[in-house]
Amino acid sequence: MISLDTFFFILASGILLGGLYALMATGLAVVWTTLGVFNFAHGTFVALGAYVAWQVTQSIGGGAGFLLAAALSVIVMFGIGFVLHYVLVKPFERNTNLVLLAVITTLAAASIIENGILIGWGPRDKQITPPIEGSVGFFGASINLYDIVILLVALLTLLALALFLRRTSLGRAMRAAAQNREAAELMGLNVSMLFAITIGLSAATAALAGVFTGSLRFISPTFGADPLMKALVVVILGGVARFTSPIYAAFIVGIAESFSAYFLGLYWAPAVLFAMMIAVLLIKPEGLFGHRSKTL
Amino acid sequence: MSTPLLELRNLGGGYPPISVFRNISLSIGNRESVGFFGPNGHGKTTLLKTVAGLLDPWEGDILFAGTRLNAEGRMRARTSRNLNYDLFRRRRIRAETVVRAGLIYVMQGNLLFPEMTVEEVLDIAPRAAEGRQGVAEMRLLVDDLFPRLCERRDSKIRYLSGGERQMVSIAVGLLALPRMLILDEPTLGLSPKLRIELSQAVRRIRESNVPLVIVDQNVEFLTSLVDRLFLFDHGSITREIDAGSMPSHDEIMTMMFGETL
Repeated sequence: MISLDTFFFILASGILLGGLYALMATGLAVVWTTLGVFNFAHGTFVALGAYVAWQVTQSIGGGAGFLLAAALSVIVMFGIGFVLHYVLVKPFERNTNLVLLAVITTLAAASIIENGILIGWGPRDKQITPPIEGSVGFFGASINLYDIVILLVALLTLLALALFLRRTSLGRAMRAAAQNREAAELMGLNVSMLFAITIGLSAATAALAGVFTGSLRFISPTFGADPLMKALVVVILGGVARFTSPIYAAFIVGIAESFSAYFLGLYWAPAVLFAMMIAVLLIKPEGLFGHRSKTL
Repeated sequence: MSTPLLELRNLGGGYPPISVFRNISLSIGNRESVGFFGPNGHGKTTLLKTVAGLLDPWEGDILFAGTRLNAEGRMRARTSRNLNYDLFRRRRIRAETVVRAGLIYVMQGNLLFPEMTVEEVLDIAPRAAEGRQGVAEMRLLVDDLFPRLCERRDSKIRYLSGGERQMVSIAVGLLALPRMLILDEPTLGLSPKLRIELSQAVRRIRESNVPLVIVDQNVEFLTSLVDRLFLFDHGSITREIDAGSMPSHDEIMTMMFGETL
């Protein structure tokens, strides 16, 4: 058996992973429930967000540089997501095969962005310097202070997003467009623009996840593949019935991943996650926290 | 003669490649309410959806208060297995333009937004009337018309009954401050009690000087409410009846389907 402090160390790193996955998966789930298309470029949004932030920290160092980098990355990715709606989804929205076409266009975008990163920043691994050092004790295990900050910021961001969607007029309009497009048009809402804002917000949360991940691990041009896969597993595992469904699932996946990485080895962790996903698909296809409807 | 509020000129449309209605010409005056009556499946709803901007008109024009709402010319129906013409083909009419002009369409059997509460929906409804005065007064009228909605303001739409959903739909239409309100079968599928309640609400909307275009299957209800009645059959208007000479239900049945046994 493992000692208690090892157990808590694994648990804590699993919870941290869960926070990052929640940030990635919620963006994916919001686009899926709103536009009804699956965004395969979501992983490259994470990567591009990390690279934009890295570029900023190269010229401005220290804590202020990191904050500026994160803010700039989020804003730039919002803009890119906003524009990509008009390029990747809108031209095909009257086609009956929209879902399949969007798979292909978003995969194409993922490939273009990935190779663009390769051309622009080169293949060498990079890392964003973490702005906070030091650690605190957690039931005998020592946890980095920065990890706790990341978790808190991720959860606060999701809370802010949920409040935005529920309480503000723009957020409510976005939910209306997601739930009944025709009725939203009859209310005079500019549905295309609301959809573009949705993808923009999704890309912005992906960018934030990218900045955090990029300061914990090395970033490379193919860095987006892993977040996309994890977000996919989370969304399928949790379902999209409520805003919170993928968030719960993200913590389950994060904790399961860190425990299986310890006990079974790093290479078996994805296999465990996919086995969980397949089991859920067999037993409860709408997800652990899902029911048939999908909403925002 | 002053310009009519809504004018349709040789309007034709449908769901490509199937034409549903053609050659519809009519004009509705500033303070006039009209009704549409006709069998199911003959294109009334398709016509109204086209006027509301949800479907592209194939030919003809839609004018509201003297402004044309649709793009000029005929729709070119080009399809190809290889090329995506949707890339180049623009919408010929946009619902947003129609709504901003003040022509509001209340859909038939509208499911609205199942996961939003009544209050949330009524909160975003006035966005269409942006920059115009009178939303607060309209909200008072809506609360007065449908006190039931105040009781259920925190319920999600999907837990509402059919009649309550219809009330929300009409309330949403009213909060957009319509210059003309199109009601598509407002009493469809409702219990007799709710039907009476909604009919009275529609009557009061009419009395508050909002011009109405109503489709309904109840001729007595229509004739008591509107200034003119259009009989709609096989995708065209077959007859126009003035208020002075409103016929009874049986007479209309005879007009539309011939002598009954």
